Amino acid sequence: MAARKATTGLTGLAVATNPHHTLGVLYSKILRCLHKMPPDAAYRKYTEQIVTERHNLVKTETDVTKLEQVMNAGQVEEVIQQAENELSLARKMLEWRAWEPLVQEPPSEQWRWPL
Amino acid sequence: MAATAYRGLFSLARQASKTVVPRAAGVRLCSTELHPTIRPVNEVQKQTLSEFGQYVAECLPKYVQKVQITAGNELEVLIPPEGVTPVISFLKDHTNAQFTCLADLCGVDMPSRSYRFEVVYNFLSVRFNSRIRVKTYTDELTPVDSICDIHKAANWYEREVWDMYGVFFANHPDLRRILTDYGFEGHPFRKDFPLSGYVECRYDDEVKRVVVEPIELAQEFRKFDLAAPWEQFPNFREHVASEEVPIKEEK
Repeated sequence: MAARKATTGLTGLAVATNPHHTLGVLYSKILRCLHKMPPDAAYRKYTEQIVTERHNLVKTETDVTKLEQVMNAGQVEEVIQQAENELSLARKMLEWRAWEPLVQEPPSEQWRWPL
Repeated sequence: MAATAYRGLFSLARQASKTVVPRAAGVRLCSTELHPTIRPVNEVQKQTLSEFGQYVAECLPKYVQKVQITAGNELEVLIPPEGVTPVISFLKDHTNAQFTCLADLCGVDMPSRSYRFEVVYNFLSVRFNSRIRVKTYTDELTPVDSICDIHKAANWYEREVWDMYGVFFANHPDLRRILTDYGFEGHPFRKDFPLSGYVECRYDDEVKRVVVEPIELAQEFRKFDLAAPWEQFPNFREHVASEEVPIKEEK
């Protein structure tokens, strides 16, 4: 099967061979990680919204160029990069438990400006 | 706030070329028609930025203490030192943020505070054409987590902050002096470090090398009080340095 295009134009980012499969796998991994968070966590809500929206687009649109246009987030290779970043972030957010209330209040004069 | 709506607002902000200049509080007779040199206020951008600030505070309630917008529509997120790695990873990796470029990392010394040093991170999002500032605090002895794992560019910046202020960065790959001389003692950008320093160098012919000696100045340091007896900006008496973005829900 001939490559979709010769190059992405970005250094170090190779052309993706099967972007639909890669994106599908990544999005399902992200959703599985998000399900472990409490359902009222804002990060979980917003990220699930983004991920399900993009996942549906990937499932419905088979042509890669049209998929790039509909998603409006750059080339598919960049979208795959964003999904990988989101997956690593979701795993770290689970570890940090970032939805809990504020861990340390600032001293009262700390953020006053002018002094 | 919908994730896509945020992105849509951003493209709106990019397309908005002319905005109506509102009457700023405390400024009389100020509009671009009367005074074309006065910088117009971009309300759309300010609104988008404050909504993004609220979004960040909502996603990371454990670490975001305060969100504010300074003059010129600059968004600032204020966090404790424990939140450095989570918040900066979020800003880099999250799809709605993507602040992949570390533009600047610097320190500020305010000796009157209990945590005298402030570490300021400036980020740029190339995808969304947007900037954000993250500020933490620390004192002379408490270390701050290094962000070299997240942004490689932080390496030399953190070395500079260590050299100039004495703020220690934990897990930095190579934290040593970068701007001061090899045997230099002290942290020059601290407010209690004098302008001319403590030592001066000269070549000594007897020992045939450069020697470092305590400083000797011909004229003593003069400090001028530059305050004028009259009020300088009577039109800006109520002007505030930054506007706080409300992040706590009213219960």
